[in-house]
Amino acid sequence: MYQKIGETIKVAGVYKNHTFHPFKFLWHDRSLKIDQITLISDVKDGTVKKRFYSVIVGQEVYRLLFNRETESWLLDELWVD
Amino acid sequence: MPEIDWNRKILLVDINSYFATLLQQENPHLRGKPIGIVKDVGRTCIIAASKEAKQLGIATGSNAHQGKLKAPNLILLPAQFDRYLDATKRLKKVFSQISPKTYIYSLDEAFIDVTDCQKYLYHNIEELALTIQNSIKKELGEWVTCNIGIGPNYLTAKLASNIAPKGNSLTITPDNLDGILAEAPFSEVCGVGMRLESKLKRLGITNPYQIRFYSGSELENYFGPFWSKELLKIAYGEETHHFDLLEIPHIQMKSVGRSITGYHLYDDEREIKAIIYNLISEVIHKVRKMGLAGRQVSIFLNGQDQFWSNHTTIKHLINHEQEMFEMIYHQLYRKWHRSFKIIKFAVRLSLLEKIGQNSLLLDWQKQEKVHQALDKVNDKYGLFTLRTGALLNQPIIRPEVTGFLGDRLYQLSNNT
Repeated sequence: MYQKIGETIKVAGVYKNHTFHPFKFLWHDRSLKIDQITLISDVKDGTVKKRFYSVIVGQEVYRLLFNRETESWLLDELWVD
Repeated sequence: MPEIDWNRKILLVDINSYFATLLQQENPHLRGKPIGIVKDVGRTCIIAASKEAKQLGIATGSNAHQGKLKAPNLILLPAQFDRYLDATKRLKKVFSQISPKTYIYSLDEAFIDVTDCQKYLYHNIEELALTIQNSIKKELGEWVTCNIGIGPNYLTAKLASNIAPKGNSLTITPDNLDGILAEAPFSEVCGVGMRLESKLKRLGITNPYQIRFYSGSELENYFGPFWSKELLKIAYGEETHHFDLLEIPHIQMKSVGRSITGYHLYDDEREIKAIIYNLISEVIHKVRKMGLAGRQVSIFLNGQDQFWSNHTTIKHLINHEQEMFEMIYHQLYRKWHRSFKIIKFAVRLSLLEKIGQNSLLLDWQKQEKVHQALDKVNDKYGLFTLRTGALLNQPIIRPEVTGFLGDRLYQLSNNT
């Protein structure tokens, strides 16, 4: 199941083909390097555009959420077996 | 004799086990495992299953408890409708690059008509199918596979996609059409429901080809004037009325409805009232967003193996939730003496039209001003940010998309 986290994170990445690709994020002073982005989804909360990035770090699967209006990042959920 | 235009080339792309596949694409821990998708945490109806779950006999519509009995390692996960809808929008862009004649048939299916562009762009349709499969993988991920059916019309393309092995394509040609029609069960033929299938079975007809042995008048005696003609078309692989309708451009939705199956049987009037208001709010929000208003309201309630429904048609157009609620709740529901507990609720606003001149009545104008303010806030911050007091302290039923995408005109429009 996915465990709700909902904590602010810092993200570093690059723009490639007009799309931002995160490559690592900082959570609780831990720098986590993203091995793979498995799915990107654009969703709307009212008129606020948000983008989900599902990413793999080692064996872990994280759902990162980027608020395109406030330009802030959230670690939304984490997969736990 | 029936005729098929074999120069036409229609492709039907059907993503395999869409909801579950996207979850498996997202999360490698779920790949190769039986997964059941439920609407939300705590729900028990499996609305979609992974191919691994299907192999274990867990079909869409199964009960989660029964599913667990069949596969104790079944993983139940809540649906993420907005992410599925986004994936469909991404696929729409991919398909539109192949041909301008693209029709999103459901959340996970799309027709692509390449008749006009095949001569110049796509000499080999099977190669095109392979290109589409690769483009989908590139857009959504390696784990996402699809079936592609190719035929001279929508009916045969859909049939080919249904019977093709998972992740493959199948082309219907003049040479294999009769063989396919003689082998395909009716469950794979779009438009033939379970009741019609069992009626056909009673006559000993188990595949479309066998219909050819009956005359038009014999079929009419059994199935009536409409279905006798439709069945004959199916027997020869001709386009049916259902698919002919796809060619007609739909400018606007004719009705907007919303239904919900509750967590339990509802008997408390306060809860029932709130659920009805909640559903009406969503209907009105959608209708107003499309600049429409309707003249007919309907309600359908179901529970304890009983149902009740009613509707009313009025002369003026409605696009205010208070007015729709007044008609549905006070004028229809409250006049009925409820005889059962309710599990399923549905409301609908039909006979939709574009709003012409606004009413001159002061009460109406007052309501409209309130609604405009409500729309402004809810458009910006999300539906139900600002809501009626009737919904306070009640769990909010939020909008969701359905697999068959009945509201595709709304969901795929640019302003949603």
